[in-house]
Amino acid sequence: MLILENFLLICREIQKLATGDVRGEFVFEPSASAAVGSVLHGEHLKLIEKSRLADFAGYLMPLWYSSISAEHAAVRQAAGVFDCTHMGILEVSGPDAVCFLNSVTTNEIGNLTAGRAQYSYILDAAGNILDDIIVYARDEENFMVVVNAANELKIKAYFSVLQSGDALVDIDRPDRKLDCIPVIRDMRDTSSGSDARVDIAVQGPASVEVLFALITEEKIRWQIKDLKPFHFIEADIAGAHCIVSTTGYTGAKVGFELFVHPDIAAKLWNMLLEKGRPFGLQPCGLGARDSLRIEAGLPLYGHELAGEYKISPIEAGYGWAVKMEKQFFIGKSALLQKSKVSDMNVVRVELPGEKGVRPARANDAIVDAQGICIGWVLSCAKAGEKQIALGLVKKGSLAQKDSAGLYYLARSSSQIKQGKKESVQKAEAVKPDITGIAVSRFEKF
Amino acid sequence: MIDEKLFYTKDHEWAKIDGDIATIGITDHAQEMLGEITFVELPAVGTEFEAQGELAVVESSKAASDVYSPIAGKVVEVNSDLEATPEAINNDCYGQGWICKIQVSDENSTEKLMDASQYENMLKEI
Repeated sequence: MLILENFLLICREIQKLATGDVRGEFVFEPSASAAVGSVLHGEHLKLIEKSRLADFAGYLMPLWYSSISAEHAAVRQAAGVFDCTHMGILEVSGPDAVCFLNSVTTNEIGNLTAGRAQYSYILDAAGNILDDIIVYARDEENFMVVVNAANELKIKAYFSVLQSGDALVDIDRPDRKLDCIPVIRDMRDTSSGSDARVDIAVQGPASVEVLFALITEEKIRWQIKDLKPFHFIEADIAGAHCIVSTTGYTGAKVGFELFVHPDIAAKLWNMLLEKGRPFGLQPCGLGARDSLRIEAGLPLYGHELAGEYKISPIEAGYGWAVKMEKQFFIGKSALLQKSKVSDMNVVRVELPGEKGVRPARANDAIVDAQGICIGWVLSCAKAGEKQIALGLVKKGSLAQKDSAGLYYLARSSSQIKQGKKESVQKAEAVKPDITGIAVSRFEKF
Repeated sequence: MIDEKLFYTKDHEWAKIDGDIATIGITDHAQEMLGEITFVELPAVGTEFEAQGELAVVESSKAASDVYSPIAGKVVEVNSDLEATPEAINNDCYGQGWICKIQVSDENSTEKLMDASQYENMLKEI
């Protein structure tokens, strides 16, 4: 059982009359608290002023060290190292681990053998995404679950109420309870002792050379070279035990996440910076992390998943991570019902982005070739001379290579006075301000 | 960071006066609040503004902010470097991040502006 402090937990069943049933929603309200430094706080302060750190999910994190565009370019052309030590890591173990994980996640845990990882979702019984996660199978009864920093407390609270039987798990059978009781440990907490781990990511085409600069043992080098995507090894790197996985959030074809004990994270970070510099490695902040993941089409919880539009995994383009053939998982029934009525999906659009072109923002309207609003921007970022936008549009309204227009919503009171709209409805006719093209849903670099 | 030689407004604009030309920008506090600045909408050269008129718009990934003219006058020059490098405002808001220059129409217009210590005091109360 997890010990949870400083949060207000609300788990309620709500009957909504007009728009359908939202029983089984899990709602979590964390209490506000001051942001804290990450495990690498001291290292960031060696590179930038404290005022340059911003509160992200309760952690003081660098938005950029040099510039977002330089760091973005480094990851595409050479390599970047990212402080991901703020991300939550939960160990789910014991004989009930598989049963528990298969009940609370959408993907099929049975597909994992030791050394494999999978992308997945945790839903509530109402079918809402609570987090997108990666599950790493260390052996048949030991799994590492990496969660978004912003959702860590919520997921811990959720797992706790699931185990205590206080949450609705099945809207079709309200009396259903999970009868699997796994052992759950917070792997970033000191209570995990020497097993504690935090995440540092190295991403980009030169990542292998960077890692090899730290690893002289031929056997480990071969193991790393041989790793297929979403696989991992456990090896000693520079004298410390490390999990090295071929996962990441930048869309890089080559990239790794390194999970090490928090006590040696700073040492590893500095070794990567020092030995990686000849290969063009740069430290990269949250700004580049965001522009890289947008460019690749990868979703961010709260934007392309859940959030204002309650986007489902299927709408986001990840139907493959939802195994409907599983006999049961929390949220399955609700998600099935939702997908029958859903008429939206996420698309990726390339827009002009050279100097002088105003950046697109979330909620700007996406306009089809006939000048009709088909949806809205969810996230947008500059990538070189272009802007890449992820948008939510009417299914089937935008095929790859179709022309896609963008209408900027009013940014200021002066623009409102000039007639710029503050919002645009679906099917409304508007004249786009700039025009681009729909591209593939995902891209790897 | 407060530059002693400048005048300030409650909306976090600064003005540097040189004869009848005032150079305008936004303060360190403002650029920090905005975050990474991604776009600057500059006024057209020749446009005339009242004090507190909407002079420019500074956009960041998290917000957009109107920049109000600290003084009345006519725009005589704009910093077009901000088109390619809007982040100059983040990096050097009192220097390379200047937004535009105004030919002041009223000699006494700086009377209504705050000096450095008044602005600093105002910031303490935020």
